[in-house]
Amino acid sequence: MTDPILEIVNVSKRYGDVQAVDDLSFTVPRGSVFGLLGPNGAGKSTTIRMVMRIIMADTGRILLDGVPVDDDRRRLIGYLPEERGLYKKMKVLEHLVYLGTIRGLNAAEAKRRAAAWLDRFELSAWATHKIEDLSKGMQQKVQFIGTILHRPQLLILDEPFSGLDPINTRSLKDLLIAMSAEGVTIVLSTHVLPQVDELCTHICLINRARAILYGDLETIRSQYGGNVWRVASELDETELAALEGVTGVRPLGAEKLVELEPEAEPRRLVQALAAHGGLESFTRFVPGLENIFIRAVEEDRTHA
Amino acid sequence: MLDRILAIMRREYLERVKTKAFWISTLLVPVFLGAVMIIPAWLAARGGGAFTVGVLDFTGRFAEPIRLELDDLIGRQSSIAAAALEQSEVVPGEQAETIGEIANDPILELELVELATDGDPEAARERAKQGVQDGAYDGLLVLPATLPDEGQAEYVSPNVSTFQMLSVLERSVNNVMVADRLTTAGLDPEAVGELTRRVDLKTLKLGAKGQETHDQGQGFLVSYVFMMIIYMTVLMYGIYVMRGVLEEKASHIVEVIISTVKPFELMLGKILGIGAVGLTQFLLWSALMVAISAPGAASALGMGSLELPAVPAVQIVFFVVYFVLGFLLYGTLYAGIGAAFDTEQEAQNFQGVITMFLIVPLVLMMYILNQPDAPLSVALSLFPFFTPMLMFLRMTLTQVPAVQLLGSVVLMTATIVAAAWVVGKVYRVGILMHGSKPKLKDLWRWIREA
Repeated sequence: MTDPILEIVNVSKRYGDVQAVDDLSFTVPRGSVFGLLGPNGAGKSTTIRMVMRIIMADTGRILLDGVPVDDDRRRLIGYLPEERGLYKKMKVLEHLVYLGTIRGLNAAEAKRRAAAWLDRFELSAWATHKIEDLSKGMQQKVQFIGTILHRPQLLILDEPFSGLDPINTRSLKDLLIAMSAEGVTIVLSTHVLPQVDELCTHICLINRARAILYGDLETIRSQYGGNVWRVASELDETELAALEGVTGVRPLGAEKLVELEPEAEPRRLVQALAAHGGLESFTRFVPGLENIFIRAVEEDRTHA
Repeated sequence: MLDRILAIMRREYLERVKTKAFWISTLLVPVFLGAVMIIPAWLAARGGGAFTVGVLDFTGRFAEPIRLELDDLIGRQSSIAAAALEQSEVVPGEQAETIGEIANDPILELELVELATDGDPEAARERAKQGVQDGAYDGLLVLPATLPDEGQAEYVSPNVSTFQMLSVLERSVNNVMVADRLTTAGLDPEAVGELTRRVDLKTLKLGAKGQETHDQGQGFLVSYVFMMIIYMTVLMYGIYVMRGVLEEKASHIVEVIISTVKPFELMLGKILGIGAVGLTQFLLWSALMVAISAPGAASALGMGSLELPAVPAVQIVFFVVYFVLGFLLYGTLYAGIGAAFDTEQEAQNFQGVITMFLIVPLVLMMYILNQPDAPLSVALSLFPFFTPMLMFLRMTLTQVPAVQLLGSVVLMTATIVAAAWVVGKVYRVGILMHGSKPKLKDLWRWIREA
């Protein structure tokens, strides 16, 4: 991959008897939306915390722009932890200015930027209210503003959609897409895979402390998609399975997923279906992240 | 690094200084302390301590000498005080001094009323007792006819805890009896007066530079109040640190902060910021005290003028030094406790241990008061956890060698650095821990591994 912004190289972390992260390596390309995916407890948050130097890796290296992350360079990253938190007694604007100043902005600049963001999120009227007076959704927005106030070129968001209602989820996604378009690299960690299906350009799947699948999502989709087609027809599974070149049939809602021999031409299947008079629709199957993940975990298990 | 610590300090400082609680405590404490120091004097000056005592004099000759002796003992003081109150007859220069004296030594007014002793002595005694019961007299002085050779003078009263009055009365009776015996033994009455003249003990405190200051205990009283202020503020601000850390943990803000700032910087900024709040409070208290003791303000309160007992500058300097060092030491320990636990309830046991270190000096105070220069007193006051209170106490009692003062500061500084180093490790691990309550061995593991 060309021009990496963040490189994780052979990183491990052990807590007592638990290997939280086991020799993990991956690279986040500049400008990508990178999904760090996996079930709860897989080691995603531990990995992110090591990037942010909240905890230290036992072994391995973490590079930002090719240089090891240190206490100063980590401030170039915008980090939203999984557990959100704000000082409840502080006023909204004051709080944002505080978060800006500890990241190196001067107070006037932090204030100017915070006010502009509050305006954009329609929170200006709340600027002088205490955090505790805000609704949970508004607090999440304030938290997010605090994360991006210093205009980081790399944004690391740990479970950013947890606790958001569908409307706020949508608006956060839109904002992330817009920031990505401006060139900001975004690392998203989540265990709710469908949430990031439409966002990610690259992914790393982590299961039981190790990366089991990693790369450009388009490539992964076509790999895992294989010669599989979504078919809506009157034929049932046994009839479909009997057709030439078909190696497997699975139901997918009202439709069927028909897997062909790798070299088989889908045109022949369409002709066969048409000949039987039962073809309503025929499209290439694009596997969702969840689908890919489940298969990757299964393969990982059989290899292990 | 420095600008981030300053930003953290600023936040901790402003967040507390802007609260109502800060201003209420800033205003109420001097009012309370002022009340403790001023009200007794004020009450005394306003006519408290006036007694009427009935005298049953079966000797028929002692009542008058006792009255004269009483007037001699207390008359001088009360007449000057009364004059000062009425703001007359006393030259202005003398006034302040007199009131200052009164403030610490309430005046006494004692009126003797001679009662009829004719008829049956028992009946006379019963009549007189009835008078006390009815409230005509505060007490009854009985002088049996056998005096001064045999028997005892008696004082009968429903209230026998008026110590100052009793001591003056007892001294008067005693002086008269002694004088009478000496006269009977053939001494010239005038010579008796001269021979039995009382010698007053004047207490002078020797200052560091050899100067002598008149001090009848008011200097110590102020020092005691100052020591209690050190105790209360170190405890109070230490607990503020603990609560602050607990709050950051509970609200999860801590992870956001330490993704930018080192845990140690956060801890340091918090402790220094809260310490600055404490110093601000001292500054405001001093300003208030100066304002209250200004002549105009005092007379506005209807107290003439009030002179605050003078506290040597060196004590004020060390008061601030010991508060700062004490707070840094205890604040650091409280920060560690806040980081190790999730709630104040969980932290209670460990907090209790730390608080014990603050309370022990209060228990040891009596020993130090009696023997401020004993080797054990010196050792205790050099123990860094006790130094802020005990060394300060010793300073007010005796002349502590400079080497001990310097040594105490060095020892405390070393202890603070060591505590910050150890607590820093506990803090670093603890602030990210949630859930199970750590035991002592867990804390030890954090210190070793961090």
